[in-house]
Amino acid sequence: MRDKSLKYVLVLPAVFVVFATAIWPLVESLRLSFTVGRLNRPNFPQEYLGFENYAWAFLEEPAFWNSVQVTAIYTLVTVVLTTVLALGLALLLSPGGRLRSTVQTLLILPFAMSPALIGVSFRFMFNPEFGLFDAFFSFVFPPLAHISWLSDPTLAFAVVVMADVWGWIPFLTLVLIGGLASVPRDTIEAAQVDGASGWRVFKDVTLPQLMPVLAVVIILKTIFSLKTFDQIYMLTNGGPGTATQTLSHYIYFSGLKYGQIGYSASVAWLMVIPMIFLTYLYAKHMFRKG
Amino acid sequence: MAEIKLEKLTKRWGDFIGVDNQTIHIHDKEFFVLLGPSGCGKTTTMRMIAGLEEPTDGEIWIGDRMVNDELPKDRDVAMVFQNYGLYPHMTVYDNIAYPLKVRKTPPQEIETRVAKAAEQVELTEFLDRKPKAMSGGQRQRVALARAIVRTPLVFLMDEPLSNLDAKLRVTMRAELKHLSHELKITTVYVTHDQIEAMTLADRIAVMNHGVVQQLGTPDEIYNNPENIFVASFIGSPAMNLIQGSLLDGWFVTTGGTKLTRVGGGDKERVVLGVRAEDFIITDAGQGDIDVPVYATENTGESVLLTIQFGKQRVSAKGDRHLDKKIDDIVGLKVKPEHLYLFDPVTEKRIRPGQ
Repeated sequence: MRDKSLKYVLVLPAVFVVFATAIWPLVESLRLSFTVGRLNRPNFPQEYLGFENYAWAFLEEPAFWNSVQVTAIYTLVTVVLTTVLALGLALLLSPGGRLRSTVQTLLILPFAMSPALIGVSFRFMFNPEFGLFDAFFSFVFPPLAHISWLSDPTLAFAVVVMADVWGWIPFLTLVLIGGLASVPRDTIEAAQVDGASGWRVFKDVTLPQLMPVLAVVIILKTIFSLKTFDQIYMLTNGGPGTATQTLSHYIYFSGLKYGQIGYSASVAWLMVIPMIFLTYLYAKHMFRKG
Repeated sequence: MAEIKLEKLTKRWGDFIGVDNQTIHIHDKEFFVLLGPSGCGKTTTMRMIAGLEEPTDGEIWIGDRMVNDELPKDRDVAMVFQNYGLYPHMTVYDNIAYPLKVRKTPPQEIETRVAKAAEQVELTEFLDRKPKAMSGGQRQRVALARAIVRTPLVFLMDEPLSNLDAKLRVTMRAELKHLSHELKITTVYVTHDQIEAMTLADRIAVMNHGVVQQLGTPDEIYNNPENIFVASFIGSPAMNLIQGSLLDGWFVTTGGTKLTRVGGGDKERVVLGVRAEDFIITDAGQGDIDVPVYATENTGESVLLTIQFGKQRVSAKGDRHLDKKIDDIVGLKVKPEHLYLFDPVTEKRIRPGQ
């Protein structure tokens, strides 16, 4: 009898932590999203509004749609770039590939850095006076020197993308190396003997068998791209203007900077919808049988 | 027309020698078997012919082309892999058609040739299936069909039957033999199974430690082994190897039993090789020597006796009606024309009169 209750006592702390850090904030944010929820007014969270916050975001707020657009483009570009580059690297690094394990170890380093740190270091590197890129371009291609990367909307967006791609490639490369290792060697050799060129072996035999892993990689990266916050906060803080303001950044700003907790909670819940869909896809691919 | 010539072929990985300076000529249209235990270099030799492994040294000729620097796709060989190497995401039809597709064969021709290949291996009704939905034997047939769908210069088969159960292996063996007879294409076949080698081969190369121990027809390999390795590797049960010496032309076991006359004078240490079926089992007193039975096994077609022979044990095959029990005393005779003498140091055959 004691053993029966003991097991519950043992998991209780973990349940409590999950409840306090995940469940409760989730429920609370849902509740707040239906209220006025202004931090700078008395009687927080003030009166019940129903779906008014959601309607406001959809119908009245260009800044919301701007951040949706930024997030969508950002996600599309980073997912495609990271996946393609990681796949290329994985092919070079996988057993039988052309690079060796020392390189493999070095390449994982970017992933050891926190996104915020990546943001800070990229901000330094792109500084127009003393940044690494400034020095680099004044040496190899002077017309590109002294450009203020982070104050031009398009360039700033490119820098944000670059920082993210750089930070994510190593991890996805490792996952894909694992995926490539599970493609049976004899199917590749059979294709070689059957007369396929290197490219056709990849396209006809390796890639189709890598698809399950590739799907997981793409979904995972999409989820992380959608919720990007730290790098952007450190690197551009959403600017110049709102050129690099992603949804997460927008939520943070409207909630904690302008004190509109109710409104930002409703936007956050709008973001939950695609996330749940992607998580479902991810779980389906991760845990599928066979 | 394609003979294969391997000239002084060597494969090393660091200090490990996979194949050691071997020269092998495989005739046109021959069914050639590379036989040996695992790690003997047989698969490595085949993979070098296919172009999947690069030789450290030596030359590979297919027909009149030196193919060392050619990619696998340009060598015009077809290969059947041990684990079949089927493309799991393609249907049987697409698997078989793949070698034709990558060679840009016209679509109508692909269709007729796939149909013909599928018919040859009796797969016609399975063309829409994926490999996953098929049994081991059927997958094996798909791999075969994929190999025979074009007419390559050379077939390479890497232990194609080793993943099949015993019964299916026997059926497939006969089918392979029939197929090779029909197609008349030079075939190199790798196996560790001596029965497969004996039944399929025109010629066998028995390999060990990266070196061909003996190359010859199945008959030569079985009846005229060059050394102890070949003698003991071929045959089931393995050839009995009895330690002893030669005394005035008689073989005397280490225990001092004078067994039989083999000729060849005196020699302090020799090994006598006798196959189980070359013993004649008689009642006690009627053979050359009397020995006790250690164990008896009835296989149905014959009875296999394990006999305590001084300190050694030997096996002898008797007629299936032989009725002997453990500890019975039996007489044993040897057929003098089927005896093999080996030097225990060099492990080479000693021929009487030498």
